[in-house]
Amino acid sequence: MNTDCVTVSTIVTVDPATAFAIFTSEIALWWKPKVPGLFRRGRNGTLKFDSGRLLEFDGEGEPFEIGRVLAWEPARRLVVEWRQDGFAPGDRTEVEVRFEPAPAGTRVTVYHRGWDALAANHLARHGATGNAFTSMIGLRWADALTMVRQTSACQSERS
Amino acid sequence: MATSLDNTLAALAEPTRRGVVDLLRVRPRAAGELASALHMSAPAMSRHLRVLRLKGLVEEEHAQRDDARLRVYRLRPQPFLQLRNWAVEVESLWSDQLSNFKQYAESGRKGKRQ
Repeated sequence: MNTDCVTVSTIVTVDPATAFAIFTSEIALWWKPKVPGLFRRGRNGTLKFDSGRLLEFDGEGEPFEIGRVLAWEPARRLVVEWRQDGFAPGDRTEVEVRFEPAPAGTRVTVYHRGWDALAANHLARHGATGNAFTSMIGLRWADALTMVRQTSACQSERS
Repeated sequence: MATSLDNTLAALAEPTRRGVVDLLRVRPRAAGELASALHMSAPAMSRHLRVLRLKGLVEEEHAQRDDARLRVYRLRPQPFLQLRNWAVEVESLWSDQLSNFKQYAESGRKGKRQ
């Protein structure tokens, strides 16, 4: 059962190979941080896929590693780990982007998973068990997340 | 955002306090009522209520002015809205970014690749 996935999708009028190429190699040109400090408090940079990792560069010192690339299938699918500001060491979520042919071009769908596990980690650090998490927070989250989950669109066929 | 979420989860990591929250979801209750429902002594319940109050999950309300015995506790909605906002923020982040991506892919770079 998937209870922890946020799904957002759009259709672009280019073919899947082009969509994948733009999404990855030109991410610095289209990613526009609305709120500064998504990855590092008070800092703002540009994103780049580099050597199997997704990084944020802000021109000062070392880039921030958002996560490692877990799957790289041009024209089809991309999976990358996702860490941002406020995450404890070891906390991570996962972003999968799928590129599927659509009548008007390509359907690009982002599945951002792992929020339940993240909350469970928070609880674990405060001494609660996984079961306690499932029975209590799980229910409350299920309720809160209904709005954003709308459909069961998170079940992506893992091939 | 992360800090207050952490705060909320810390307060909820204790089974008795989760019990209190579940009871208060139904309606506000007096400390004594909570203690007996959860089979606890009044001082022990008072300590848990203090944590929940300090973390901002519950608040006291005086059913009748000047009578401390009729003090009841109720849930504050804010921490739970924060849990909800967290998911909504993730959705909003990707909606914005995919919209930037679409715009850029369809217009900004036209001609570059064709």
